[in-house]
Amino acid sequence: MKEVKILGIETSCDETAAAIVQNGRHILANIVNSQIAIHQEFGGVVPEIASRKHIENISLVVDAAFKQAGLAYDEIDAVAITNAPGLVGALLVGLSFAKGFAYALDKPLIAVNHLHGHIYANFLAHDDIEFPAVCLIVSGGHTSILYMPAAGEYEVLGSTIDDAAGEAFDKVARFLGLGYPGGPAIQKAAAEGQAGKYVLPRVFLNRQDLDFSFSGLKTAAMNQWKKNDMDPAMVNDLAAEFQQTLAEILTVKTLRAAMLKDARTVLLAGGVAANDALRILMKNEGEAKGLKVYYPPLSLCTDNAAMIAGSAYFQYNKGDFASLDLNAYASLSSL
Amino acid sequence: MLILAVDSATPVAGVALSDGEKIIAEYSQNFKQVHSEKFMPMIDKCLKDCGCILKDLDAIAVTSGPGSFTGIRIGMATVKGLSLGSGVPLISISTLEALAFNMVLSDYLVCPVLNARKNEVYAAAYDVSGVKPDILWGPAACPPQVMADETGKIAANHPGIVLLGDGFKPYQEIFRSSFGTRLREVPPHLMLPRAGSIATLAAMKLKQGALEDVHAIRPYYIRLSEAEYQLGKEDK
Ligand SMILES: [Zn+2]
Repeated sequence: MKEVKILGIETSCDETAAAIVQNGRHILANIVNSQIAIHQEFGGVVPEIASRKHIENISLVVDAAFKQAGLAYDEIDAVAITNAPGLVGALLVGLSFAKGFAYALDKPLIAVNHLHGHIYANFLAHDDIEFPAVCLIVSGGHTSILYMPAAGEYEVLGSTIDDAAGEAFDKVARFLGLGYPGGPAIQKAAAEGQAGKYVLPRVFLNRQDLDFSFSGLKTAAMNQWKKNDMDPAMVNDLAAEFQQTLAEILTVKTLRAAMLKDARTVLLAGGVAANDALRILMKNEGEAKGLKVYYPPLSLCTDNAAMIAGSAYFQYNKGDFASLDLNAYASLSSL
Repeated sequence: MLILAVDSATPVAGVALSDGEKIIAEYSQNFKQVHSEKFMPMIDKCLKDCGCILKDLDAIAVTSGPGSFTGIRIGMATVKGLSLGSGVPLISISTLEALAFNMVLSDYLVCPVLNARKNEVYAAAYDVSGVKPDILWGPAACPPQVMADETGKIAANHPGIVLLGDGFKPYQEIFRSSFGTRLREVPPHLMLPRAGSIATLAAMKLKQGALEDVHAIRPYYIRLSEAEYQLGKEDK
């Protein structure tokens, strides 16, 4: 069988990333240029600044991927690019570069959905994933539960109706003065505190659907903080309760979906899948129900291009290629 | 010599092919700015129509700005991809200089003005009496009145002043009242960036060996991002 090597490029938010993956499994190169330090100054990702950094770094990052893989440019079989969802201005830098690069090398272009990429990060790390699977994608921009009857097939079961979970982490962390990005900041504070001292609402758990709402939880955390005169002594306990509440809501709904769909497997994906409390709770509760629970290694939870190149392999095999008029989109009405 | 010149820095998308002596093809569109969809197919069509492939080129020229931030980046990211993949070197051309070059060999003071929104223009003033534009003022991002005042002083040495670009129309009252009868209005085909002008400027640069490194070539925004202004950062 022919070895298929795909270059993946990812610029949907604040990481400029390129990777080369062979046969959808074997990572030959994985370069991520993070802009976190730059955006920290602004308390969050500034789209225009992200785009400016992408254009400065894109060719360097791609070149570095080829050097790491020890490959010449024309030894790849296709160029895969994230074209949705994300910051449009940022996506367009990667997309325009990818079009030019694929054209110059006369290689096919593959358009990859960023969220499919996140799910795919699991397949880069585990080769024994069985279907049907239920997948929780949870990040700064998204919180959705998907059903996957087979590799490369997706059905949305539920989504957040307001904030994404990662967004709630960011906002609460900023409000509590814990810094940015919020996920790691809250996890760190929570480790020093105790959940249960302050009780936050388990929003939407009483509803039988698979949608989420985090806006109310966020407000409740902020109100607790204000009510207690922003007493620094309570920060860690409040962070712990907030994290625990989020993990519980995400776990209960995801496992409910898995039972409903008779799934064998639960996949965690996205930046918030790096959160320890969520990983541990999902694994323990899931295994207690006879499910296999997977999450990607930490390095593949946050945005990267290996997941894009890996995900594109399914499309490559189906001959699902994009044309030169491919556009970028902030959101997708459907996955 | 074979040069591909491309521009997507303003609402106009343009692609031209030049052999250094003549413009072989020039495609332009000033209609519903969707550079993200139309730009690369336009490049492909230009090359195919002329029986060329990328590797035949001696250089690819691109406008580096000023203009729409996203538009500039679509052009620059596209040519970075083309250049890295093919090894063809890049040449960077100022959007303002390219516009001024539309009026080459004229005695008028030629001022490109691009709509920069927020009640400002990107502008410069050139002496174009020689074979290539000679910059006298700017480039700057400033209110149209400031631009009119500054260039008004220089225009005294010229028989008249010409304003080119999409920044003229929205502020024409300011310009008309500032320059009076010294203002010469030009026909529409000179008012927009032309890929043919860019290709000719690039041919001159190529002869001088003014090539850009694919990694080092940068957009020229003039302006900081809004967030940086709010943080009180200085212009670079
Ligand atoms: Zn992501």
